Amino acid sequence: MATVAVRAPAKSAAGTPPRTRRRKWTGWAFAAPFVLLFLVFSALPVLASLVMSVTDLRSTDLRHPLAVNFTGLDNYIRLFSDELFLRSALNTVVFVVVGVPLTMVIALAAANGLNSGLIRFRALFRVGFYLPVVTSIVAVAVVWRFLLDPEVGLVDNLLRLIGVDGPNWLADTSTAMPSLIVMTAWRNFGTMMVIFLAALQSIPADLYEAATLDGAGRWQQFRNVTLPLLRPTLLFGAVYTGIGYLQVFEEPFVMTQGGPLSSTLSVSYHIYNQFGFGNYGYASAASYVLFVAIVALSVLQFRLLRERD
Amino acid sequence: MRKRRTVAIVAVAAALTLTAGCGRDAGSGQEQAKAVDAGKATGDITVWAMGTEGEKLAAFAKDFTAENPDAKVNVTAVPWDAAHQKIASAIAAKQTPDVSMIGTTWQGEFAKTGALDPTPPDLIDSAAFFPGAWATTQVNGTSFGVPWYVETRALYYRTDIAAKAGVTSPPKTWEELTAMTKAMQAKGGAKWGIYLQPGKTGSWQTVLPFAWSNGASIADDKGYTFDSPQMTEALQYYQSFFTQKVSPTDLPNGQLEPDFGKGAIGAFISGPWEAGLVDEQGAKGKYAVAPLPTKQSSTSFIGGSNVAVFKDAKNRDGAWKFIQWLSKPDVQVKWYQTVTDLPAVQSAWQDPALTSDPILTTFGEQLKTAKAPPSFPTWEQVAASLDTEVEKVVNGKETPAAAVKTVQSQAQSIGTGA
Amino acid sequence: MVTTALPERRRDRTAKIILYAILILGLLVVVGPFIWMALSSFKPEAEIRAAPPTWWPHTWTLTNYRDLFSRLDFPRYFTNSVIVAALVTAGNLMFCSLLGYALAKLDFPGRKALFRTVLAMLMVPGMVLFVPQFVLVSNLGLANSYAGLVLPFLAGPFGVFLMRQFLLSVPDDLLEAARVDGAGEWRIFWRIVLPLCRPALATLGILTFLSSWNNFLWPLVVATTADKYTLPVALALFSVGQNRTDYGLLLAGAVVVVLPVLIVFLLLQRHFMRGIATTGLK
Repeated sequence: MATVAVRAPAKSAAGTPPRTRRRKWTGWAFAAPFVLLFLVFSALPVLASLVMSVTDLRSTDLRHPLAVNFTGLDNYIRLFSDELFLRSALNTVVFVVVGVPLTMVIALAAANGLNSGLIRFRALFRVGFYLPVVTSIVAVAVVWRFLLDPEVGLVDNLLRLIGVDGPNWLADTSTAMPSLIVMTAWRNFGTMMVIFLAALQSIPADLYEAATLDGAGRWQQFRNVTLPLLRPTLLFGAVYTGIGYLQVFEEPFVMTQGGPLSSTLSVSYHIYNQFGFGNYGYASAASYVLFVAIVALSVLQFRLLRERD
Repeated sequence: MRKRRTVAIVAVAAALTLTAGCGRDAGSGQEQAKAVDAGKATGDITVWAMGTEGEKLAAFAKDFTAENPDAKVNVTAVPWDAAHQKIASAIAAKQTPDVSMIGTTWQGEFAKTGALDPTPPDLIDSAAFFPGAWATTQVNGTSFGVPWYVETRALYYRTDIAAKAGVTSPPKTWEELTAMTKAMQAKGGAKWGIYLQPGKTGSWQTVLPFAWSNGASIADDKGYTFDSPQMTEALQYYQSFFTQKVSPTDLPNGQLEPDFGKGAIGAFISGPWEAGLVDEQGAKGKYAVAPLPTKQSSTSFIGGSNVAVFKDAKNRDGAWKFIQWLSKPDVQVKWYQTVTDLPAVQSAWQDPALTSDPILTTFGEQLKTAKAPPSFPTWEQVAASLDTEVEKVVNGKETPAAAVKTVQSQAQSIGTGA
Repeated sequence: MVTTALPERRRDRTAKIILYAILILGLLVVVGPFIWMALSSFKPEAEIRAAPPTWWPHTWTLTNYRDLFSRLDFPRYFTNSVIVAALVTAGNLMFCSLLGYALAKLDFPGRKALFRTVLAMLMVPGMVLFVPQFVLVSNLGLANSYAGLVLPFLAGPFGVFLMRQFLLSVPDDLLEAARVDGAGEWRIFWRIVLPLCRPALATLGILTFLSSWNNFLWPLVVATTADKYTLPVALALFSVGQNRTDYGLLLAGAVVVVLPVLIVFLLLQRHFMRGIATTGLK
């Protein structure tokens, strides 16, 4: 990405020049409102919940939260011998590794198709593709359960036409997770598509004109003009989708209740159950293990898709 | 430098405060209930109620205000969805109302927080209620709430399909149930003889009645006691329906009522609300509701909702008087007529409004002996563990004996939370 | 946009047809459940629960909507939702673009650490903060108030991340030119940078509005009396019961809840226009 680097003036013995000093303070001035709200409403609760995670706090202690036992890393250690937690971790990893690329590819393809200038009624398509994001999960669940029904569902009936006996998608431990991945990608690509579209719109048309005049085909233009300029947004998309999918909850909750036989239980679902049982300390610990996983994934993505300065 | 020192001081202070307050009390023993003043209720009474109860209670409470003109009842409707979270958060932040509805399985947990006020014994007569319902309010011998309405589970079955299969009276024993459901499949034209919940959330409410009817007891004063031959036998019986393909393991969500209406499912076990649902799907007039079949007894699950007063209530006296009013038999009948919630007070069932409907009569009979799970704070977690093992058993992945042992060991490690 | 001078090649036409075909098929797939939701809100409960599900209603009924509007104090809950969502969206747009710009274009000490902290916040699973946030808000005396409903969401790390990534592509020479001309930082931000990121602001606006509008758990817990409920909370009041769900009400509610979001989407998406191309950078 072409940016003209502005070298900061060297710090002289007399102190920083007025313009840089002003910019320094402007930076914090601009940041101030956010930082203040952030400290009070986000940072403090994070500290409180971290403390929670090293105690044996339960919901029955909520009236006297300080009267609990400090347990150190006990909760964290227990997690790794918790069969359900480990199962949910495996499920979630599979979900992310397959789901994130799938969603990004569909979103990028859709955004690119809508942006290509070949299509009219762009607004219609844009709203349409975004609809799954705003459709009530209840409606989504009813329609998808119907689609995947082994007897009357569309998918298995289509398969029957070509002679294949389709499985009971949601009731079979080996097909339940893939079905959910496809459904979640379907549900969420709209958000990414909207973001990618906005980014694509920001690419100056002259760049494409110049490339066409140079004789570059559509695919080459995509690779050499679009993708590089889209890097920051792609990074954003990968990180955001990854963060979201590591915390997948609604889809297994409504469609399969974590089954069959815990094959679609996600880490967030497990944590939700633990909070529901009142195991606040334990659930907080699990949340921060999830947090570490999210940070790790994001760092990995930053490294892979880093903007070239 | 100054900033770093300030941070250090704050950190140390925080650490000290935390450790100073840490550590649990040994426990203060049983709580004593305090008496309530005689006379009429006064002041504002804030009430949280869920679902349609929340919708209808404000208007219904006008009768109370007619009798107690200096009192005012402010009802806030709360959705059932996440109501447990709302009450827990309110307790944590000390934002509780005077009175709230409390689900029967939440009672133990909320009582343990110390946020609930013990029931004044002279105000409410415990013998008036169904014993199973009253038991849900008791934690360590002290009652922390009052049953408001109840529900229980019984056997719904298609009488026409049963007749076609040669069965003219409801099954009274476990053997008769197996025979009837098998016959419904073989000769009655049903695809499945019976629908029993195949594990997953809430299946314990269908499984435990079989266990209780076989004489199993899942808990005593000190802890859980799942591991018993009666429990194993009951689970084996439950499993038999699945291994013999009488009950489906993978019926899609929402399919039960339409299938029962179409005659694809011959029977199922559930509560009073299903009657309306299956009527809508075409089963009206074609089915009956019978008590659960007997092994050593016919013991079902009792649920419903209690009402409780919070310790931080601003109007404790008014709150208890309101609850006392709700428990009067005539008020319980009137409430039934308003929202079709089954009365928790036994004498209310003498009223013609409840004796005229044969389905209701069956539920009323079943209520007399129905049991509830122990009111330990950890019940929900242990129940979830039971649900998981039941799912494995039902799918042939685990034997009933092994499942029962697993549940017991998990229950022991989870503890009672008391 | 499509270049006007070059003639349409045959390759372009086939590409167009294929593209249209794929997009239309995709469109049908994605709008399916939405259409089912809308159509089913006009069906009686029994038909909604029928298996297999029906598409076109066999019986049309307005009962669900009539029930919804008569049982709920709809104007009040709608107003609450609008106020809360509007405040949260406006706040986010303002504070996040300020910080995003500072992180992308202004060099100040602690910039990297601040960005990493905000990013880290995005990665904390929300569930774990719920009870501490509520206890905090209550202790600040903000329970059952609009402030309590709005304040915790004004500092949204998502918005900062999004704006920063977009703003990274604003050319530095543009800003330098303005600085050389003597413009102050605030002026540069307000007059030059913000208009350039209309697509980003529109995107952030839509997404923030949507998430605030659909927020269920927080308004449920913060509001201790029903007059502060937002729409999703109110809609859940009677549709989900202890043992049965009233799907008719639920779906009618879902349709009602989605309409304002769609309207906001349609209004804001006019702003998805090319920004930088028109600034005469050459």
